[in-house]
Amino acid sequence: MKTAKATVLVAMAGLFATPLAAAELGAVDEPIKLAVNEWTGQHITTLIAGHMLKEAGYKVEYITAGYQNMWPAMAEGDLDAAVEVWESNVPQGYYQLRDGGRLEDLGALGLDAREGFVYPAYMEEQCPGLPDWQALAACAANFATVETLPQGRLVDYPGEWGTPGADRMAALNLPFKAIPAGSEGALVAEFKAAQSQKTPLLAVFWQPHWAITAFDLKFTKLPEGTEACYADASAGPNPDVTGDCDFLPTRVFKAAWPGLKEKWPAAHEILTNLQLSVEQQQPLMGAVDVDGRPAEQVVAEWVAANESAWRPIVDAAIR
Amino acid sequence: MFRSLSPAIRAALLTLIVGMVCMLLAPYLGWLQKWPASMTLPATEWIGAAVTWLVELIKPLARWGAWLLSYPMGWAAFILIETPYPLVIAAITALGWHLGGPGMALGVLAGLCFVLFSGYWVQGMTTLSLVMVSVPLALFAGLVTGIVAYRMPALRRPIQVMLDVMQTVPTFAYLTPLLLLLGFGPVVGLIASAIYSAPPMARNVLLGLQRVDPEIRDAALMNGANSWQQLILVELPAASRQMLVGMNQSIMAALSMVIIAAVIGGFDDIGWAVLLTMRKADFGNSLIAGMVIVVFAIMIDRLSSRLAEPRGGHSRKVIWGLLGAGAVMAVLAARWLPAASEIDIFAPLAERTNSALGQFTANHGATLNAIRNNAMIYLLLPLRIGLDHAIVPVMWGFGWTSAMALGYFGAAAALAGWLAWRGQILAALMLLTAAGVVKLGIAHLPWPFVLFAAGALGWVASGWRLALTAVTLLGLILIMGLWEPAMLSVYLSGTAVLICTVLGGAIGLLSAVSPAVWRVVRPVCDLLQTVPLFVFLIPVLMFFQIGEFSALLAICAYAIVPMIRYTHQGLSSTPEELVEAALASGANSWAIMTEVRAPYAAPTILLGLNQTILYAFSMLVIAALIGTTDLGQQVYLALGQGDVGLGVAAGAAMAMLAWVADRLVQAFAEEKRAALGL
Repeated sequence: MKTAKATVLVAMAGLFATPLAAAELGAVDEPIKLAVNEWTGQHITTLIAGHMLKEAGYKVEYITAGYQNMWPAMAEGDLDAAVEVWESNVPQGYYQLRDGGRLEDLGALGLDAREGFVYPAYMEEQCPGLPDWQALAACAANFATVETLPQGRLVDYPGEWGTPGADRMAALNLPFKAIPAGSEGALVAEFKAAQSQKTPLLAVFWQPHWAITAFDLKFTKLPEGTEACYADASAGPNPDVTGDCDFLPTRVFKAAWPGLKEKWPAAHEILTNLQLSVEQQQPLMGAVDVDGRPAEQVVAEWVAANESAWRPIVDAAIR
Repeated sequence: MFRSLSPAIRAALLTLIVGMVCMLLAPYLGWLQKWPASMTLPATEWIGAAVTWLVELIKPLARWGAWLLSYPMGWAAFILIETPYPLVIAAITALGWHLGGPGMALGVLAGLCFVLFSGYWVQGMTTLSLVMVSVPLALFAGLVTGIVAYRMPALRRPIQVMLDVMQTVPTFAYLTPLLLLLGFGPVVGLIASAIYSAPPMARNVLLGLQRVDPEIRDAALMNGANSWQQLILVELPAASRQMLVGMNQSIMAALSMVIIAAVIGGFDDIGWAVLLTMRKADFGNSLIAGMVIVVFAIMIDRLSSRLAEPRGGHSRKVIWGLLGAGAVMAVLAARWLPAASEIDIFAPLAERTNSALGQFTANHGATLNAIRNNAMIYLLLPLRIGLDHAIVPVMWGFGWTSAMALGYFGAAAALAGWLAWRGQILAALMLLTAAGVVKLGIAHLPWPFVLFAAGALGWVASGWRLALTAVTLLGLILIMGLWEPAMLSVYLSGTAVLICTVLGGAIGLLSAVSPAVWRVVRPVCDLLQTVPLFVFLIPVLMFFQIGEFSALLAICAYAIVPMIRYTHQGLSSTPEELVEAALASGANSWAIMTEVRAPYAAPTILLGLNQTILYAFSMLVIAALIGTTDLGQQVYLALGQGDVGLGVAAGAAMAMLAWVADRLVQAFAEEKRAALGL
């Protein structure tokens, strides 16, 4: 019944369209299972992707899934796709499965993610010279705590995401000791506490994230991050090591169960072409995390008001 | 001369000598402090390979079981979520009425209304559907295990070791293999929760069966019952009281696992809600979501404890009345009342909690900072890295010099000499050893010394067997290459146990002396044990920042409860005859406390200490969320890297440490009990 309806829909769409390379819809009776991970930005991207798939005639099921644990499940087809995967903290297991052909990379999302050292804006008074990174060397003592004395304190990513903060500090010869945060909640709690007391804080953080505007966080200007700097020791201010520069832009991408393409060809095309920018996602994140509105409602309003942003991708796939 | 000393003194003397030799040689022989990497067995790789092989072997069977289990769970979720909420509330309230009359019904109604108003109704019902399947599963498995252990004494010991392992290896450590085995979905959480919650049931079934009056058993035999009839018709009913205790404990354990189950995901439950709010450091909302779990725990606990009691014939009419009212409300709800997911009347409360927390942090920032800094400088850092590394000019205003070291050891030796002169040779030796430990720092202790000390303790407490077990287990941690994080774990948990013992003992003593204090302390203890601990990480973090001090506080908040409970219980349950006899002989209340109550309570308090140790180790995994670098963090690293072997090895190492500490304390408690003739 549903198939018949979808076929009609495709046929009707076909009447108005130029005969472009359209994909088959595939198994429209079976729901496409999209992974819902632990953070709001991902919820928004997933809801938008789900809306697009539904508009194309698919059933969509949203399944909560732990970001660190879900990859074997996706490799087996228990989950069909995750539409916002961050290179900076995706577990090793993902790469192993992808290289083994058991997961498929669906390309970049277009979310221009940025990582770096952030500090609350009021630190520019306490440490003149910021946002330039060289100012950090002079006022490391401002950032020091008992555990790090005489060095400054840098709150690094949780241990299982790697230690980019410690690596950058070492490469740039800055007198800072990196303390792993343990969890994202711990990082945010640090911002909250620092903001309420106006105490010094330097942390490794990323954008887009609601905390950037909520706590008025600024990025430190590091020497420009280039591929060359990470490959060649002579590039960057420290001639002896690689990586003595800013973080490379983090790739945010979409990943799927390799069977997706065969089972739901049009969905594969839609998800491959799905794009979302920081400018589009950030206000929606604010509406959810700062104003406390439900993500479903916020996304429903956005897709209704911004048809031009997503409709063409859907149309191109099903025509 | 050596032979004439008591075993304890001999062991302490040898330990001290080994410690001194290690300390003197450590600067020249690096391998004394750091186990050489070349000697480390690639045990984590082997474990990983073995686990993967095993997983592949039993995967088809496990997948089939998981598929089977997903059905009852799906049905339970469907019924609880799709039924209109007024009808669900009415039905459970009616159950409360049936089991416990008006008081129980009102309690259940209030609890469910809280869940509804919190805005987490749907998530709450999903959680309830998990508990509805995992608890019966755990109870059944526990029952069977208990009966097997009872009927086959040969299997009793291995079964008890298995139960210990199930309760001490942190669940996070085996999440990845479990996920590979069962496939993705709520069944993984269900099984994890059943693994953790079955042991209390098994233990209590065994205990209950062992305590059945032999006369009852004989009567059954004389009536010609065969052994199965005897078990089912006579022994199990006779053991039902003890089994109920196990049932309650199992339910509590299952609910405490809700959050862990959510880490895997698979369904949108209350644990997932707590995780999301945690991630935003949104204390108000995470507290509300956490309270939903507390409400469920209390409700299921009270209802199930009434199951075995005779019912007072509460009117059937009320049940029908309640269900009818529920149905009417359900019809009304469909038209006029908001959907369960749209109710959220606690939002302003959460907002206010958050701003109050922010305000408090802002107003008392300087004080909180001072507390933290002093604790770090004068207690934690010296304990971890030793006096010579901790005493540096930037913190203490002066550095550690060799003259100071001389003075320090001179003072310790003088004190020890005085103790020895008074006949306290054992205390003198232990004082000297402790002085050496503080000088070196727990994290930098030479491994031969730790192994020897653990062996000596085991030997004194119980004999060669325990000594050998302790040394073997610690040796395994050493050659697996997990020594450094393990010693950090010992340092964190050990410090927490120390604080909990002193502080918890004092609070327990106060509670035993004054019932007014106990009235305040008791609900706090209840709350600390049932609210998901994740929730408390947020305020602790905001007050004291990421780091060891926060981790220590989080561990203490959880591990102090058994110490308070058991101290209070031990001190206040002294037989009245003993107290009266002492009163008659003219003892004042202080003398009664120290001379009568305290010795009588000693075994109970030691059991409390044992529980505190186990709790302190089990909290390490959660403390890792606020940035520790010990075994708890290794478990997360393993999750991130998909390293099955490392996860299992780190989890096993934690269980081994907890097990060694537990057995040592228990052995001493046994000895003490025997000495007191109890």
